[in-house]
Amino acid sequence: MSRKFPPLIAWLFRLRYGKSSEFVLGDVMEEYVKGGQSRWWVWRQLWSAYAAAAPGSAQTEGGDRMFWPLSNEIRYAMRTLSRNPGFAAVAILSIALGVGVNSAIFSLFNAAALRPLPVPDGGKMIGIYQTFHGNRGRNVHGEMGMLSTAEYQTYRDHNSVFSAMVAYSPFLKATLGGETPREILGTFASCNYFDVLGEPPAKGRGFLPSDCAAAGAGAVAVLSDDLWRERFSADPTIAGKTVILNRRACTVVGVARPEFHGTEAAFSSFWVPYTMQPALEAESAPNTFGNSNMSWLTVIGRLKDGETLARARADLNLIAARSDRQYPGRTTSLSIARANFASEPEVRSIVLGAGAVILLAVGMVLLIVCANLANLLLARALGRQKEIAIRFSVGATRAQLVRQLMTENLLVALAGGALGYLASFAAFGVILGAILNRLPADVPQFNLNVGPDLRVFGYTLAITLATGLAFGLAPALRATKINPKPDGGRSQGILRGGLVGAQVAACMVLLIAGGLLLRALYAAQTVDPGFQMKDVLAVSFDLRRQGYSDIRAAQFQRQLVERASALPGVDAVAQARVTPLSDTHVGYGLTFSGTSQELPVEINVVSPGYFALLQLPITRGREFAAGDRNAAIVTESTARRFWGGADAIGKTILVNGNHEFPATVIGVARDAQISHLGKSNETFVYLTPGVVDQGTLKLLVHSRPNQQAALRRLVRALDPDLAFDIRPLERNLEWWRTPLRILGVLAGSLGGLALLLASMGIYGVAAFAVSRRVREIGIRMALGADAGSVQGMILWQSMRPVLIGAAVGIAGCAAVSKVLSGILFGVSAYDPMAFAGVPVVLIAIASLASHLPARRAARIDPMMALRHE
Amino acid sequence: MSREHPGEFEVIVLLALVRLGETAYGVPIRHEIEKRTGRAVTVGALYRTLDRLETKGYVASWFGDPSPERGGRSKRYFRVGPLGIEALRQTEREMAAMWEGIDLKKVPHVS
Repeated sequence: MSRKFPPLIAWLFRLRYGKSSEFVLGDVMEEYVKGGQSRWWVWRQLWSAYAAAAPGSAQTEGGDRMFWPLSNEIRYAMRTLSRNPGFAAVAILSIALGVGVNSAIFSLFNAAALRPLPVPDGGKMIGIYQTFHGNRGRNVHGEMGMLSTAEYQTYRDHNSVFSAMVAYSPFLKATLGGETPREILGTFASCNYFDVLGEPPAKGRGFLPSDCAAAGAGAVAVLSDDLWRERFSADPTIAGKTVILNRRACTVVGVARPEFHGTEAAFSSFWVPYTMQPALEAESAPNTFGNSNMSWLTVIGRLKDGETLARARADLNLIAARSDRQYPGRTTSLSIARANFASEPEVRSIVLGAGAVILLAVGMVLLIVCANLANLLLARALGRQKEIAIRFSVGATRAQLVRQLMTENLLVALAGGALGYLASFAAFGVILGAILNRLPADVPQFNLNVGPDLRVFGYTLAITLATGLAFGLAPALRATKINPKPDGGRSQGILRGGLVGAQVAACMVLLIAGGLLLRALYAAQTVDPGFQMKDVLAVSFDLRRQGYSDIRAAQFQRQLVERASALPGVDAVAQARVTPLSDTHVGYGLTFSGTSQELPVEINVVSPGYFALLQLPITRGREFAAGDRNAAIVTESTARRFWGGADAIGKTILVNGNHEFPATVIGVARDAQISHLGKSNETFVYLTPGVVDQGTLKLLVHSRPNQQAALRRLVRALDPDLAFDIRPLERNLEWWRTPLRILGVLAGSLGGLALLLASMGIYGVAAFAVSRRVREIGIRMALGADAGSVQGMILWQSMRPVLIGAAVGIAGCAAVSKVLSGILFGVSAYDPMAFAGVPVVLIAIASLASHLPARRAARIDPMMALRHE
Repeated sequence: MSREHPGEFEVIVLLALVRLGETAYGVPIRHEIEKRTGRAVTVGALYRTLDRLETKGYVASWFGDPSPERGGRSKRYFRVGPLGIEALRQTEREMAAMWEGIDLKKVPHVS
């Protein structure tokens, strides 16, 4: 079998030898393609080709030495560094810190967005998503880019590049029956799922083709190892027993391997054939499986041996174009990429965007480290002037000296990088722990493998080498400059100043971002959303998903409201489709009277008593009362927007939701932060519940004392099989505070780290400047300068780059802070407190750092100074 | 022509060329050396040495036909020239003279 030669290596060979020496590449190719040699061997040949060209290897005759063209330089560098262990330690540790943070964040990013699916030969799994262009409605039960059953079957049956294709619908919320019913997350899967993924269940079997014979068929389930242990006490005879899912009995046929948690980042607790969808979601989404215009399936293909991603793209696009012909005006664009946890296009753009911002932030810390080290090296170069002069005089060329210095710098960088790489895995547990501790308790477990792999290693190596170049090259060139011009000291000063400025600018960006996030967190803790959340309990359940018909749901709701109202201490009870500030949002198409266009508007369906319970003032008209049908209450802004100064009461709104009906406005409610913390909803409409809404309503209970336990018993008595959740309404705020807390802690700690590094850098540069100028300062003082003016001069000179850097940093942060605006509740992205307060603190710390050397300068004794050196 | 002595690795490469005769190009040369000495030879080291031998006038090279398994790239064949043979002969003579009568087992040494 012949193998494909890596094009990158061929290119690098050609780069080294040029077109006239293609026979070298030919030799390597011949041996590789015949299959005798590994890829590692090819890389070694490439290395040898470059190594043999290095001038340092000119004297060596044998072949073996040529592996190490820089061996002399490396040995010399080791000696130099070991003679100066303090410098080496500081440099290695600060690089380890910078690289470690970057490497840790990258491995998280790698796990979320780059690693192939965690199945055998996962690199061959290709994810397929689609986008339709052309004006055509589409039903969605999941993500827009997913496929319908019919579309999946078309690609599956007509492609020629995949050995097989699976489809699955992730995030199936189902109620697990038993003594304490609860909601678990599962997956609808095509019946070849386990076979194609190469993940045969550890016990029992996967699905058989017969399980997927027809819609509604296949009442079987494969359990995750976790669920099997937790719910069935790891019962070895589980196969054939029954598990209740959404009140449907399913036969357990297998248990997945303990390491297998599904093909999404969130753990899946069970798998059922996708033909079971109509049966398991009979009330909530009855026609998902059979609807050919329904996005609900994630589709993954396994490439045949020898097929490539490019061929897969071509092949599937052909099929898509053929399907488009049946729908004039429609064009399909497919998104086909190696499957991983973020291959769905929308998820991908979010993960990549967030990843880029965070990697940029940690990159800044590394930049500050580089600037610090470059300054340290510049100072050190002065101490090595004599050594360098001697080497020049005995015939070394500048190139050789630069190579020598760069070998030293890269050696330091590699040592630091290696240390940081190792430390990052230790640090990782801490970072991940910090993040997980701040997530709300009901977030499912994640399937992220953050262990090291080639990508993390390559990234770390790349940033390490870049670090070595960044901090080493300028000082190395500077140190080996022959015949420095008379103003050499001055231009060196400018370089140092520039480095300090860059540090301060990077530090400023991180600190202001941290400041904004902390201000927003404070605002989120103290913000008044415009309604009362205190002493309110939210009882949440989804009756439709749990098999309730609308009629039964209405009956259940009526009984629940009656009994809850009768509990001691309960003074108000109301129902709502969405509890305020939860993560759920419902939008309907509404047409306001006087306008002709239907607009998507956020709505809530609420019962009488809702406004009183939340103490949300009705400013005009009245609140809903029992017996109101098809009534609406609009917010003040909504009334202003659509009817201007005219009275909103009596106006009609055409509602296009579950079904179409006209609603009459009977009241106007005060604007409040109902669905977004920190943002009063500009357009928001409350509607009365109809029969079709009964299955979606949740219960709000205002009581003192807290009646959580009594409510729990009450719901249990009404329906022992219902999965539900009771929690204080205030808990909804956690949903908003969590990302702030995570990012605030991250930006705060990075900012703190950056501040520490930058102030060290500022201090170092100022102290060095003073030590170089002892003599000059002595002369100034001898000529009559007083201590105050000397101190002022030093302070001003070291603060000038700080101030410039600070200005650049503020401007830079103003340019990027907009990306944070989505989570800065009630705080502007240009919040004056953050933008003014942080620079004051930073500049104060910088002045302190330069004040110490300045004071020392002022204490210089002119007599001592003139004798100095 | 100065009486420059070939280095150790150069001698090994020259001998490999003699052994291979008309079929000596990169791949068989490396294999021959690896097979006999057990030393792994990289292409970089090999071609550097061959280039040096060619500069010294010890070997001559010419290009053969391209073949598909090499991605359509031609082979560069090598042959030892008269000067190379002379250098080998001299090395052999010198080495033989130095080894003459030596039995390493009887040599006292510091262990």
